[in-house]
Amino acid sequence: MSLTLNRRQFLGIAAAGIALGVMPQYLRAATSTLSMQAAWINDAEFTGYFLGLDKGYYTEAGLELSYLSGGPDVIPESTLIAGRADLALTSPDTTIKAIVEQGAPFKIIGAQYQKNPLGIVSLAKKPITKPQDLIGKTLAVPPVNVISVEAMLKMNDIDPSKVNIVPYAYDPTPLIKGEIDASLDFTTNVPYTIKLAGEEATSFLLYDFGYTIYNDTIVVTEEVLAKKRDQLVAWLRASRKAWNENFTDPAAWPPKFADTWFKGTGRSIDNEIYFNTAQKPLMESPNGIFALTDDGIEKCLSALGKIGLVGKHDMFDTSLLAEI
Amino acid sequence: MVGEALARHRGLRNALLLVLIWEVIGRLGLVAGGALPPPSAILIKLWQDRADYPLHIAATLQASVTGFVIGNIIAISAGVIFALSPTLLRIFRGVNIAAFALPPIAIAPILTLTLSGMAPRITLAALGVYFVSMTATVIGISQADSRAADLIRAYGGGRWQVLRRVQFRGALPAILAGLRVAAPAAVLGAILAEFGGGGRWGLGTYLLGSLGQANPARLWGIGLVATLIAGLSYAGFALLSRHFLGSTRAVTLNTAVPTAQEQSSSSLRRVLIITASIALPFIIWWGFIKLSGAPAMIAKTPLDVVNYLFFSNASATAQSKLLQALGQTLPITFIGMAAGLLFAFLLAILSKLFPRGIEAFMPVALVTQTMPLVALTPLLVLMLGRGQALTLWVTISVTFFPAFVTLAQGIALVPNSVQELPRAYGASRWTEMRMVTIPAALPYLFAAMRLTVPRALLGVMIAEWLATGKGLGNLLNQSRGYLDYGMIWTVAAVAVLLSVIFYQLVVLLERRVLTRLGMTTAE
Repeated sequence: MSLTLNRRQFLGIAAAGIALGVMPQYLRAATSTLSMQAAWINDAEFTGYFLGLDKGYYTEAGLELSYLSGGPDVIPESTLIAGRADLALTSPDTTIKAIVEQGAPFKIIGAQYQKNPLGIVSLAKKPITKPQDLIGKTLAVPPVNVISVEAMLKMNDIDPSKVNIVPYAYDPTPLIKGEIDASLDFTTNVPYTIKLAGEEATSFLLYDFGYTIYNDTIVVTEEVLAKKRDQLVAWLRASRKAWNENFTDPAAWPPKFADTWFKGTGRSIDNEIYFNTAQKPLMESPNGIFALTDDGIEKCLSALGKIGLVGKHDMFDTSLLAEI
Repeated sequence: MVGEALARHRGLRNALLLVLIWEVIGRLGLVAGGALPPPSAILIKLWQDRADYPLHIAATLQASVTGFVIGNIIAISAGVIFALSPTLLRIFRGVNIAAFALPPIAIAPILTLTLSGMAPRITLAALGVYFVSMTATVIGISQADSRAADLIRAYGGGRWQVLRRVQFRGALPAILAGLRVAAPAAVLGAILAEFGGGGRWGLGTYLLGSLGQANPARLWGIGLVATLIAGLSYAGFALLSRHFLGSTRAVTLNTAVPTAQEQSSSSLRRVLIITASIALPFIIWWGFIKLSGAPAMIAKTPLDVVNYLFFSNASATAQSKLLQALGQTLPITFIGMAAGLLFAFLLAILSKLFPRGIEAFMPVALVTQTMPLVALTPLLVLMLGRGQALTLWVTISVTFFPAFVTLAQGIALVPNSVQELPRAYGASRWTEMRMVTIPAALPYLFAAMRLTVPRALLGVMIAEWLATGKGLGNLLNQSRGYLDYGMIWTVAAVAVLLSVIFYQLVVLLERRVLTRLGMTTAE
């Protein structure tokens, strides 16, 4: 009999063999592995998952979850394509762009943020409270988000060339020192840093000015969806439970992760509490955490349509949430 | 002896003075509205953060040590093979130049796409090591004492005996010297890959987490720790080689891709070798993709890139984006090359004329080499804005140091007897410099140019990526966000190709000028 394996298959089989040999008998039957790629370094944005891992909600659901941290240079969709994670938290504009332009086989099965936390942050002493205020100002934007900002400007009848857009390297110092007038960042996070530096911040969400998209959409490949559907439902259920528990008191959990999940990130626990509190209204939905409603999907697609990204309803799969 | 001790004290005193000035400037917030923290604040922050550091340092060390070992095994073996077979050396010339000229900023995203876990960090560290160690080995082996080799042969020793008993032993000082320079390069490579790796630990990761904190003192602290690790690894190998060899040879980065002696060979053979040397980098690229097993959507082969750029639906937009980016990047790259070289040249001349002043400047210069530029961006942006001035400064800071070391060495090597002639005629130091020293150091000027020219593109791309939002650097960054994999590979390939072309142009110019003046290339 001839058996041909390529290098990857061989390694995979070898690894599986080793793993099976090591695993205790009872675990082998009960749990299956699932890996998730987060969108950023460990911070309060992912409190729910840390809580669920620490309290064993995933294990209870029969999942052995491995959690991969992200960062500014980690593109979660790339991790999915490379087969290094089963599900990823992504930004829906890049995901739908990948489906439309690259033919990536993605499905969106949930959305962590019902309202995208991305907003325009400025100093209270030189406040920018609406898109019109940006005309003639310097705005720092991470290169990935430039199309989103330009779309928001167009929706508000502003010529994008009237705003001086420069790259944002995630350091608010130039904003605090007045070198730039505003930056695009998570409104749940930066205002705290600015306050620490002795300034007051003001901000508005892109969402509130027409760019109505989700964020941290939960994305899987069609292959994983077919193979691991039950595990994905279990993941959604356990994660929703954990997030609900977290939001009963947003100040309670971050301190518990000081020496584990948040160790060595260079961020303070007070910062995480601020973040966790601020994100509560952006995540909660009458239909539960991760909700994908027809109305929400429609808003998301129509906003993306304004930047020339024509998405379709079938890029979303709401049936997993329906099973919870 | 007394004079030497005094001189050392004076150097220390100058350095202390500099730190003191920095402290005052920082305390009073004179630079960039207080964005430059005083040294005391950096140290205090470092102490407050001390619990954070060990795990990050351990991760960075693990990747850089592994990369260092793997890189050196490959580099030294390759060096031995190249030294034995000049034909192979000529065939691999394209690969070697590409390895030298690779801008890490272009290659890091590709490594993180195709490899996983620690592999991108280790690969980038190993790439940082390869060229330096390989060159040191080739030169060490080919320069071994031929009389000793003759002796072995006279006693009936074969090729292997000569290699083992003479050449390898003779090459050891050169190899150790190479390792000294390679060690900090491995550390820097590992940190750079951490930016894109998405791991939990590592100094690069820590720096990223701290960026959003608007806390310059912490960023400088991380930069100083990185500098310290790089410096210690250099010092460690310096001590090792002194301990084993008692040798105190001056070490500089060797910038010449070793050229095999042109043997009188048929022109057909020469054409074949040149073709092979151009094709080989592409074959290695293709092999890397096939071996990594990365899916075709992410990993693009040379053919895929050509396809993307010329024959796909997206090729028209891709071409116009690329041309626009090149139009923004290239002019400032040429200006940057000239500025970096000029700065290094002035510094080298000053170091001859005012050795003490330059000695005090050296620690600052070293910090600029190991301090991750991301940490300095806010400071630079506040001081210089986001225009051409910033791009130029970043380019100078990326290019000047190796060029300066090479030039200073060249100027120091000019024989005393030659310099005494103008002195005897009562010429001033400047006249002596102008009429004797600088012309005599011309081969080193070209060696410095070879070093500067590929790095200038790297400097410009870093500035574009971090601050100005234009050109190739920005296109690369944006394509990553848009999952435009074809464009990521295209930009990386174009950046490497340009660097190789720049390098090759300098080599051609160098050969013409030096042959005309009857000088030889500086190794």
